[in-house]
Amino acid sequence: MKKTLREIYFIGLFDALPLLRDPMMLFIITLIAFLPVLFLFIFAGGQAALPALVGAIVLSLAFVGLTVAQSVYFNKHWFRFQDIYVASPVSPISYALGLAFATFLYSLPALAFSFAILAFALPAPPLAYAAVIATSLLLWLAMILMGFTLGLSTKNVKRANALPQVLGFVLGFLPPVYYPLDRLPPFLQPVALLIPSTHAAQLSKHYFGLLTAPLPPEQILLGWGYLLGFVAVMALFASRRAHWVDP
Amino acid sequence: MDVIDVRGLGKTYPGGTVALRDVSFRVARGEVFCLLGRNGAGKTTLLRILATQLRRTAGSAAVLGQDVDAGATSIRSRIAVVPQEARPQMMMSAYDHVRLMCRIRGLSKEAAEKRTRSLLEELELWDHRDKIAADLSGGLRQRILLCMALVGEPELVFLDEPTIGLDPLGRRKVWAMVRRLTKSGGTVLLTTHYMDEAERLADRLAIVEKGRLAFLGTVDAAKARAGGGMRVVVEHPGGNGEREVLEPKDDAEILAVVQKSLSQGLRVTLQPTSLEDAFIAIVGGSIEEDAA
Repeated sequence: MKKTLREIYFIGLFDALPLLRDPMMLFIITLIAFLPVLFLFIFAGGQAALPALVGAIVLSLAFVGLTVAQSVYFNKHWFRFQDIYVASPVSPISYALGLAFATFLYSLPALAFSFAILAFALPAPPLAYAAVIATSLLLWLAMILMGFTLGLSTKNVKRANALPQVLGFVLGFLPPVYYPLDRLPPFLQPVALLIPSTHAAQLSKHYFGLLTAPLPPEQILLGWGYLLGFVAVMALFASRRAHWVDP
Repeated sequence: MDVIDVRGLGKTYPGGTVALRDVSFRVARGEVFCLLGRNGAGKTTLLRILATQLRRTAGSAAVLGQDVDAGATSIRSRIAVVPQEARPQMMMSAYDHVRLMCRIRGLSKEAAEKRTRSLLEELELWDHRDKIAADLSGGLRQRILLCMALVGEPELVFLDEPTIGLDPLGRRKVWAMVRRLTKSGGTVLLTTHYMDEAERLADRLAIVEKGRLAFLGTVDAAKARAGGGMRVVVEHPGGNGEREVLEPKDDAEILAVVQKSLSQGLRVTLQPTSLEDAFIAIVGGSIEEDAA
């Protein structure tokens, strides 16, 4: 167990170090999820910015989670570190968790920043913080697994770079994460509920009391269930694509 | 004990491409064994199967006495690989690469620092330890990867085209490192396109052509396939550019050609057959088939 944890930590550090040593990149990563909050604060005021801030927290982990696709692709096809790891005592579990841990490492400044602002702007009970952490982690896990599936399926360097950005946009900026669900036309609301980030944002806003009407119990259950189900489906996809030893 | 024992090895990729057919050879401890072959001949496939990175589809392959599938975990703690066209992380220093690999492979903080220093000094990277890889030459970057591979003090090292793109000095540094490895009891299996590299390094070599072993033996034995190990160049002393290149089969024939040419007042130069000549002679048949 100790050996596995050490491997996860150092593989994660190996993967994250170039970004951790680049303050500009860390600043940009931190900023991406918060730009909409800033605009909402300027143009719509604090009341609109607070739910958006919760959405930003949920997304700051999810955005970096998707970038694992790039690590998977480049470690396999560009740097070839995966081959070096395979022919060493490192286990596939350590490798996969190490890459996931790397994304967590470079999202830490964004998370620390966002929780600091949230605690300052909107004092809430510990349950609300626990809920936002839990939804963020579930969404991050789903995005990590999606990233693994993409990185393992992509054979093209352009796609490896572009897909996480495009998906980040589709899963983060388009659905009602920064804005309320009821802003969408009624026919689009069920479509938005197919996107896991919508559920993560709705649940987090609910626990912080930021929705116009609290979610009914069945909707809360649906939200958690959908997130867990999405993680399970992505895990299935990723496990089908993953080969430590090539076939 | 043989470090590598391959018998009837075959590999057909899931798409149906046959990469290896009925390959058999052994590699003894302390040997430098070179795999030569054209692009796509199957060298990397063979290396990757032996390095437990790719599944075989036929035959058997044992590394360090263990089957490459059943004993993969045990093999991996005793081998190291530098993959073809591998690159270091451009924004990380040589020191970071090696130290973190030491830590991943289980060395304590102090042991990792000590081992990193010793490896960087051995491969003459210590003076460049804090420069990021982006600021280093191709040769120095390649040596970072070699250092990473050597962290675990492997008994068997797989090097897939380790000197590709390096300048002559950089190549010689890698060769010296390979020699040091075998002197300390290690075994090296390397693939290369450079015939001079194989000639300098290989204790034995295999030429892979279209997934089959076209030759297995020593460098001298390969050269013998290309005609007695010597080439005779006969020229008119006037130097009008006319020259004839003869490839006598044995020593007696060489002597006869030389005597005859000298008696006719021709200028005679003896050139030893190179491994490249041998390579062309051995794989030449299939090159001609391809051209046809």
